[in-house]
Amino acid sequence: MADKLSSKAASVDRESKIVDPTKGVPEPKYDWRGLTNEWGVRVIPGPHGLRLGDINVGSYGEVPDYWQDQTRRPRGSVGRPGIPPLPYSLRSKHELWAECSADLYEEAIQRRWIPATEVPWDSLKTLPDDIEKAVCQMCTELSQSANTELEIITYWQDRMSYGYFEVKQYLATATFDCARQLEALRKRALSNGGGLGIESRGRVNRIILESSGGWTEAVVYLYLLRGTYITRLLTGLLSAAHNEAEAFIYSHMLEDHARHLTYGYDHLEYASTHHDDASLIMGTLLAVGEAHMAAELKEGVVSSAMAIIFGGGIKGARTHGMERYLVLVRDFINDYLAICRTLGIDREKSLHPVFKRYLEG
Amino acid sequence: MEVFPSQEWFQKVQEAYNSDRELHSGGGGACDTTAGFSIGENRYFIEFAGLDCSQVRQCSEEDLATTDFVIEMPMETWRSMLQDVQKNGKASSNMTLNSIDLELEEGIAFSPIDDQYKQDLFYRYNQNFQDFFDASSRVQTTFES
Repeated sequence: MADKLSSKAASVDRESKIVDPTKGVPEPKYDWRGLTNEWGVRVIPGPHGLRLGDINVGSYGEVPDYWQDQTRRPRGSVGRPGIPPLPYSLRSKHELWAECSADLYEEAIQRRWIPATEVPWDSLKTLPDDIEKAVCQMCTELSQSANTELEIITYWQDRMSYGYFEVKQYLATATFDCARQLEALRKRALSNGGGLGIESRGRVNRIILESSGGWTEAVVYLYLLRGTYITRLLTGLLSAAHNEAEAFIYSHMLEDHARHLTYGYDHLEYASTHHDDASLIMGTLLAVGEAHMAAELKEGVVSSAMAIIFGGGIKGARTHGMERYLVLVRDFINDYLAICRTLGIDREKSLHPVFKRYLEG
Repeated sequence: MEVFPSQEWFQKVQEAYNSDRELHSGGGGACDTTAGFSIGENRYFIEFAGLDCSQVRQCSEEDLATTDFVIEMPMETWRSMLQDVQKNGKASSNMTLNSIDLELEEGIAFSPIDDQYKQDLFYRYNQNFQDFFDASSRVQTTFES
């Protein structure tokens, strides 16, 4: 009883010492209420839910050709005077825009996959040594490509202004796709008795990473030139998958990668139709890029690794394996030229001699 | 027993595909595209919307021109692919759409308006189409003689 009394007394004592928590705090202001450029917006979800593109209504859907603001002001919100500028150097729409960005963002977050649990890892079976080495070498090569893509996107993403948030959000998913590709490829290489192979010389990776003239330049190298080739590599690997695990990985990588190319091609089309000389500049860049790509095709280890995979071993690699790889390269160059034509870039006349030789077979 | 190719056959496959999410093994998630199938003298129009195949029907040559891309292959190849699916429950690795596309000189997918962006949807949604045809393992099938 005595204890209870003393406890109660202590409690009363503490309460008497409680200070008014609002004392000394400035009176809150409510004058921000009602500061809006457009109010009363009520977008109704469609049959596929409430998608990013659906909320581009009224003034919120106006995407200017040039975004003056150098702050993080969300598009459509009220600007605050006196906010110091941030280093957003890409502020013209033609430098980054692709009409499909919002849709691709939605697609990317809906078509996700989980390498840890969804890849049927138990389908992996011991492969002949030369084939395992070739598969692991391709995992090594493609890991480096994915890493390059991730790094160049994040480098430029930092410089893209918030007026084009759809592009920034979509590219965030693309970097996540790249991280997932790195994960899946590394897991494949380290889960079937093999390991990672030799590092690529990285000629094309380097020109992608050193493309300092703008994001569009990076897209030319990353997607139009090398990305188009990677599509063919992935379709080839998928068709020659040795087990369900590889088929799952390559098919999902292919779908992710095709989404990346959709953004890339769409952006290049936008740039070429909204910026004088863009197609000519892309042509000049590609003349340089083709030389590096040609050297990589010639010197790299991808050709022999793919030939082994297609040929079912070293013996078959020397005959039908290499033939099939050469068809793959020819198909890549035809795809590449078709995209260039669509973009109004004339590369056929001055195509790199090595590319021409692949076409002539 | 449904006859391939026929509208009834495609609609039975559509029912099978839409009724069981387990069949959406690869590339689960949104797929919004239209495509055409050119099978011998017959043309079919298919539409995917969200998680489902929303329609499939016989169509005209003109209808094909409105699709994102068209899949066309010789009748014997359609038949071999579907017989393989019937036998194994899903396409063997050398009988997938992707493998057949690589195997044939001209490929199997093309854009009717020669639009490379649209044609790339074949790669973006490749697994949805594969899953659709794999679902035909649940439809008893006979072939037009």
